[in-house]
Amino acid sequence: MNHDPFYWGRPSDETYGHYNHAIANAKSQIPTSHTQQPIITGTSVLALKFKNGVAIAADNMGSYGSLLRFNNIERLIRVGTETIVGISGDISDLQYIERLLHQLQTEEEVYDSDGGHNLRAPHVHEYLSRVMYNRRLKMDPLWNAIIVAGFSDDRTPFLRYVDLLGVTYGSLALATGFGAHLAVPLLRKLVPYDADYEKVSEEQARVAIADSLRVLYYRDARSSDKYTFAVLTFENDKINVDYKQDLKVENQSWRFAENLIGYGSKQQ
Amino acid sequence: MNTIASQFTQSASSRLQSEYADAQRDFSNAPQLNLAPTIELPPISQPTEFLRAHTDDASNPDCKIKIAHGTTTLAFRFQGGIVVAVDSRATAGNWIASQTVNKVIRINPFLLGTMAGGAADCQYWETWLGTQCRLHELREKERISVAAASKILGNLVYQYKGMGLSMGTMVCGYTKKEGPAIYYVDSDGTRMKGDLFCVGSGQTFAYGVLDSEYKWDLSVEEALYLGKRSILAATHRDAYSGGSINLYHVTENGWIYHGNHNVGDIFYDIKEKEQSFNNVDA
Amino acid sequence: MTTIASEYGNENNSVPIEHRFNPYSDNGGTVLGIAGEDFAILAGDTRIVSGYNIDSRYEPKVFDVGDNIVMTANGFAADGAALIDRFKSAFKWYKFDNNNKKLTIQSAARYIQHLLYGKRFFPFYVSTLIAGLDEEGKGAVYSYDPVGSYEREQCRAGGAAASLIMPFLDNQVNFKNQFEPGSDGRVKKPLRYLSLEEVLALVRDAFTSATERHIQVGDGLEVLIVTKDGIKKVYYPLKRD
Repeated sequence: MNHDPFYWGRPSDETYGHYNHAIANAKSQIPTSHTQQPIITGTSVLALKFKNGVAIAADNMGSYGSLLRFNNIERLIRVGTETIVGISGDISDLQYIERLLHQLQTEEEVYDSDGGHNLRAPHVHEYLSRVMYNRRLKMDPLWNAIIVAGFSDDRTPFLRYVDLLGVTYGSLALATGFGAHLAVPLLRKLVPYDADYEKVSEEQARVAIADSLRVLYYRDARSSDKYTFAVLTFENDKINVDYKQDLKVENQSWRFAENLIGYGSKQQ
Repeated sequence: MNTIASQFTQSASSRLQSEYADAQRDFSNAPQLNLAPTIELPPISQPTEFLRAHTDDASNPDCKIKIAHGTTTLAFRFQGGIVVAVDSRATAGNWIASQTVNKVIRINPFLLGTMAGGAADCQYWETWLGTQCRLHELREKERISVAAASKILGNLVYQYKGMGLSMGTMVCGYTKKEGPAIYYVDSDGTRMKGDLFCVGSGQTFAYGVLDSEYKWDLSVEEALYLGKRSILAATHRDAYSGGSINLYHVTENGWIYHGNHNVGDIFYDIKEKEQSFNNVDA
Repeated sequence: MTTIASEYGNENNSVPIEHRFNPYSDNGGTVLGIAGEDFAILAGDTRIVSGYNIDSRYEPKVFDVGDNIVMTANGFAADGAALIDRFKSAFKWYKFDNNNKKLTIQSAARYIQHLLYGKRFFPFYVSTLIAGLDEEGKGAVYSYDPVGSYEREQCRAGGAAASLIMPFLDNQVNFKNQFEPGSDGRVKKPLRYLSLEEVLALVRDAFTSATERHIQVGDGLEVLIVTKDGIKKVYYPLKRD
């Protein structure tokens, strides 16, 4: 302890060595064997609530830094019959979470240890948030941002986020990564107030997500135009999951590109 | 083995199950309130550097977690027992977190502990010391001596030496065999018996007043005033001290509380009465 | 003329944005507790942020944790949620183990100190508040620093805009620096308990003002009011800019 009145009660350098700014700013490698950074990564996941369901989408790209390493990564995981988990961030951690979720699904549905309790989106989200927060506590995070889409027990649409720190929140429109900057404003434009998601039709939601994916493809250098789109609806007392893979971003127009000036372009 | 089977054969081996078990351990166990508490460490190679990086706002004003700090406390022995006087300000960086902190912890009716340094460290461990003192009473059928009580605290903080605790405390009490006794204990593991201590960021200012006026033969009234006056001087010159002054008198019958004195209220009274603090316009 | 660099292996060390792990983040928001004579309130805005992004406009952070006690932990949202979860689970065990005995707010307050201090060396990055009624039925607010030092107070603001709201509260709840008119600043305005209506008006003023001057505060204000008859929740919209 430092006894200098100016620094009274603070840690003294004689005892603790110099103050480590690197840890406070988290810029230095902490020497452990854990994953300290993502390697192969997936970009944004987008999701939106509407009147009687949820729409969620993610592209199929796996980036290795700036290299387009894989174009066949599936980042929307089906859990049970009425939940979709969209994952961005590190792909190896994604695959690990996928195994956890499959195990969870099997335990719940095959072994049925709790007497017919159904595994729904809120439970999947709760589970994932505990997993993520516990790994953060171990300083060995799963390097992902996750969106869980599905239905609550009362069959109202459910949409909630959790990330590598264990931070969770819900909203009518959610997006991870670059999408949080580019897509969320586009999605929120449709319905400014959270409670008003009931005013959005399935068709409007589909269009909004597709439009957002296109804008992301224009401006997010780590995105691709091949994507998976899942729309979950609750109709006539039944849940319907429309899960489509290998979709392509439609109505692309690159005419805006010729008006771009700057950023090192030769002809100003 | 088919694919489904292999998936779950592997999972049983450890990782997935341990993940599950960890989450369960954290949230579904009955809480343990042991007398010897367990404190979690960050699971990294240099936990103390980690703690300091995130909490030492003196070295890095931008650090995220600001722990309450800053104080002036004093205690001295005199013919009529012990006087304990403390200020009441807690600061976190430049932010005054509170002006109403109780920096004298009433360990039991005969023992007081003062609080300087990390507010939580002092509050927590001195309350814990209270439980240890009570256990001593139950086991030994007599009140614990000030020497023993302060040694329990000294030994405890020594166990944590180098981990980042910050406390400078005076354990003050009165027992038949010791008379009035003051022990200074700090988080370096120092434990000293003495007649007069000032502790905290404003200690120098308090010492200045206290040393110049202190005599063993002070009357109780004089001693209480001197304690109050010394803290007042420190709150005047040390930005990290202020708020109000809490005064205690320890006698053979235990401690007596002599009230809370708001610095803003008593400053001008004392200035006028003493014709002191002439650096300040009336 | 440069050749095309294709050493992807080096990229991890050369990309400007380093993704090394810092276990803390700041999710903004601000909270406020005030105790009255026979009631107490805890209020919090409903915005969640990360950096300059508003992640959610409605994410409640003040909770009814049982036995007429309300609790909030503002700062790093994951730690806040974890702390409240730990308290709730301990609360359940307390009820099971003690024949459903009522948990007094003093005991709850002390237990939360233990929860926070239990992570003294890997702290929860939160400012915690609880509110309820004490054994005499008087309103009580307890406030904590991140590692568990605590104090019972009449009022306390925590979180991002604490430094904006707290001076206002000192003046309006504890009448700091207020004097009797005509006394030349010598007679203090006498302290008195505020009514629930007065307190709610103060809370709304505090939050609308904080919303004007702090980027991390806004969207909505949720207030939990504790009286002997139970807990009431009210919501007021705040500016969403």
